[in-house]
Amino acid sequence: MIVKTLLAALVAGLIAGVFMTAAQELRVVPLILHAEEYEAKEPAAEPPAGTQGQQHSSLGRSSLIGEMLSALSPITPAYAHEGEHEDEGGIMFGMSRFSGTLLANLVAGAGFGLLLAGASLAFNHPITLRNGALWGACGWLAVHLLPAIGLPPELPGFPAADLHDRQIWWIATIALSAAGLYLIVLRGEIAAKVIGLALLAAPHAYGAPQPSDISSPVPAVLGAEFAVAALATTLAFWIVLGVISGYLNERFLKSA
Amino acid sequence: MATTTVSSVPLSLNDRITTAILALLIGGFLVFGAGLANSAVLHDTAHDVRHSYGFPCH
Repeated sequence: MIVKTLLAALVAGLIAGVFMTAAQELRVVPLILHAEEYEAKEPAAEPPAGTQGQQHSSLGRSSLIGEMLSALSPITPAYAHEGEHEDEGGIMFGMSRFSGTLLANLVAGAGFGLLLAGASLAFNHPITLRNGALWGACGWLAVHLLPAIGLPPELPGFPAADLHDRQIWWIATIALSAAGLYLIVLRGEIAAKVIGLALLAAPHAYGAPQPSDISSPVPAVLGAEFAVAALATTLAFWIVLGVISGYLNERFLKSA
Repeated sequence: MATTTVSSVPLSLNDRITTAILALLIGGFLVFGAGLANSAVLHDTAHDVRHSYGFPCH
């Protein structure tokens, strides 16, 4: 039974991951590629830490051109990402960029599917076909919209604060938002709802880590389009994930 | 065929907690690997995904 429950969550996540890959190709990925053109063009205009142009240009171009560019560059690509100096980079198993994206979507989808199922089991509120979309919407609120208030989805080449600080803030915000949503949505007491609201607001009162220099070679219009596209795509992903989770739960678990 | 009288996942309390912990651990591990792990190979493979999901990247 335990394995069956986990498998249902896994399968829902994999299906949602495939869906997500198709959805990303419509709008989000073209915007990323577009932004990388600017990112690679004007490395001088980037903030001091921003040498990502090397990293990204090596993804988009053939490896020969990428190597020539990095050989000409005064900054070694190893510094493109802090703390990664020992790694060479490149896409796993020599896959194409698209299959890398598909693989990562499958892994992330399975992960989010399991997290959603885990939350539902921990709170003892099963995901059904009827409430699946709401579960998904709450997942999206906790994992995407609420953290995006402090750290909006970034395009390559956008200025950003230290990666580690942002990751810590991001994870903490998701945990607090999930707890807050639980108190607001699934608990009846007024006090719980007030505490839940406070939990939602707490990370934003603390403040997300912000870059000191916000100049960027990437046009702001692209950033705005991307932020909306990314949030819309992830909302669709979460609703698909919630509904499929609910369907699989009803179809395969209740009758057992 | 399932009836509408079943209102909770048919797991005992112990099983439910075990499953919840397992699901959260495995799920967290997968999401961490795809979205946050500080490895250049993982980063490049998942690059577009990390940006699309709004994971903190770079």
